[in-house]
Amino acid sequence: MKIIVLNCGSSSIKYQLIDMPEKQVLAKGLVEKISLKGSTIKHTMADGTEHQFEGQILDHQQGIEYLLGVLTSKEYGSLGSLNEIDAVGHRVVHGAEEFSGSVLINQEVIDALEKSTELAPLHNPPNLKGIYAMQQLLPDAPQVGVFDTAFHQTMPEQVYLYALPYILYEKYKIRRYGFHGTSHKYISARACEILGVPIEKQKIITCHLGNGSSVAAIKNGMSFDTSMGMTPTEGLIMGTRTGDLDPGALLFLADKEEISIKYTSSLINKFSGVLGISGVSSDMRDVEKAAGKGDHRAQLALDMFAYRVKKYIGAYAAALGGVDIIVFAGGIGENDIETRKNILEDLDFLGIKTDPDKLGTRGKETLLTTDDSQVKVIVVLTDEEMMIAKDTFEIVKRK
Amino acid sequence: MNQLQQFSLDKSLLPKGKIQTIGIVGCGRVGQDVALHSARFGMDVVFIEISNERIKEIFKKLEEQLDNVIAHWGITLSEKRLVLSRIKGSTSYKELRFCNLVIETISSRSEGTMIEERQEIFQKIEAVVNEKAIISSNLATLMISDLATVLKHPGRAIGIHFIDPIGKADIVELVKGVRSTDDAYNKARRFVKLIGKKAIKVNESPGNISIRMIVPFINEACEILMEGVATVEDIDETMRESSGHRTGPFELADRIGLDKVMKYMDNLYAEFGNSKYKASPVIKRLVRANYLGRLNGKGFYNYEGSKPVSNISFTIIN
Repeated sequence: MKIIVLNCGSSSIKYQLIDMPEKQVLAKGLVEKISLKGSTIKHTMADGTEHQFEGQILDHQQGIEYLLGVLTSKEYGSLGSLNEIDAVGHRVVHGAEEFSGSVLINQEVIDALEKSTELAPLHNPPNLKGIYAMQQLLPDAPQVGVFDTAFHQTMPEQVYLYALPYILYEKYKIRRYGFHGTSHKYISARACEILGVPIEKQKIITCHLGNGSSVAAIKNGMSFDTSMGMTPTEGLIMGTRTGDLDPGALLFLADKEEISIKYTSSLINKFSGVLGISGVSSDMRDVEKAAGKGDHRAQLALDMFAYRVKKYIGAYAAALGGVDIIVFAGGIGENDIETRKNILEDLDFLGIKTDPDKLGTRGKETLLTTDDSQVKVIVVLTDEEMMIAKDTFEIVKRK
Repeated sequence: MNQLQQFSLDKSLLPKGKIQTIGIVGCGRVGQDVALHSARFGMDVVFIEISNERIKEIFKKLEEQLDNVIAHWGITLSEKRLVLSRIKGSTSYKELRFCNLVIETISSRSEGTMIEERQEIFQKIEAVVNEKAIISSNLATLMISDLATVLKHPGRAIGIHFIDPIGKADIVELVKGVRSTDDAYNKARRFVKLIGKKAIKVNESPGNISIRMIVPFINEACEILMEGVATVEDIDETMRESSGHRTGPFELADRIGLDKVMKYMDNLYAEFGNSKYKASPVIKRLVRANYLGRLNGKGFYNYEGSKPVSNISFTIIN
């Protein structure tokens, strides 16, 4: 079964064409910098050869059109026509309490997703765009939604509830949901597979650090706590999102700037984070370049980002009653050497002994700690797409 | 260089019957707001204007509006670029040929109803668009049936009245004419939904719901003012607080534009003959003195930018 997996982020689309159940990756790629300067599609064919195409990609609809064009092209494609695609798997950010597992997408599911858009204003819209685009371009291919929130549905209520009047939870289901669930699930399992330890006996802290970032505390193989909340805005400082922010400060700001709730949401989701502090970019690579040239605010943004992650690691070590494994994944977690070093600095009291020869590793699954380190710190290459393909295959097979 | 363009899928693969491109004829303030709002919701927009200079001027105003939104944290710079990239201006009606829906929004500030001009526009639109395209007008006091009489296929005409401020109002009045088809109405309703609004179904009547309610509201406020019952500010504040209105009657009149308000009143009075629609002497006096409201900074209030700074001198209205 040829499954195309779409993982639509706020300015990117990760895609893979996977033949299941063989798990054979026929093609994969990354559409980047959607609606930013210098959009690209980095496409990798089955034989590993890479190609990059540059141009202007104005929105997700156009990005999807181009990637399908690449997949069906004579020179670079893996498909004779779009009809060869048997199913589509979508990463969907927010499933609210409606979806605790993956589902076949129908109109009822789409309606529920549209309702959840207010909870994930940066992500559900591009996820939905991917769904609409595929409905139109591949009307006969079943589509499956795999939810970021599903893995975290095991959090106990003293962890997921906010200290608001309980009646508001009952009325609106205001609570912590958490995101990047597919990634946290995959990387925790993968880390244990690499280390050869049973996941049920480990206390694991997983750090998915990318344009969106979150940390999860995993106990007995299940999510116990996570940094993102009801929306993906809470927790770590991100590319354009504030992360944790005093709610009182937000009310003060909305009042002083005389802006509506909609624009306040835009402020904390699109103008803040690393971009807001540095004034340079939401992309850590650009910010690091600027910091290297002596830009104080750029350095400040980097320091703030690392500190927030460090704080969460400390907090979750306490919540779990200790830690056995810390996992780094995501664009920053897998590749940003300096940021990882900053995060791990002064954490030796937890029992972490880093291996200086390994700390400079980029883009590879690597153990960053010495053999005698009490806590293992490991870089895992997250593969949400394979998890999504697996779930899609199971659901479509059962249809 | 745009290497990606070679991978553009064949347009025949793209679905038909979708509302993707809309046309606007006459891109004044309302047309600009409709263009921006539709583009922000992913529509491609083509607007027709009288000259290339006017088109340049309009793009400058669109940019200014978007810059204002950016200054209030509403959208990012790249979102602004994306929105503007979806909008195209032209002096040729031929550019409307791919539009799924075209709205006539020529200025209603000129004298008279301009019904002949609007009918001519309808005919020009029909000559270029495909037979399934909707042709509509942002009519406030006119009847869509009157405009549709000149069309070969009058069933495709639907009235779409946008409520000001277009970016904030949740509703649009959707008017079915005598010969409008259900198919056309449903298509227009789909468009309204696609731009994030709710369609209020209106059975054709001059003034629809909104203008027909607003006109006597403003007239009665003028009566109260003329009787010396209370000041402009106090009347506005009372209506805001007591009825939950967003703005009081005089603020509303200034925002619509007093010349436009007077025109609505004249048109409705001509249609219904009921004195409650007859333009108040206060409104007439202000318009004659060129007090038009926010448009030129003086109306019932004096304005600095969009903020009222003082209310009208009593000598003007007495």
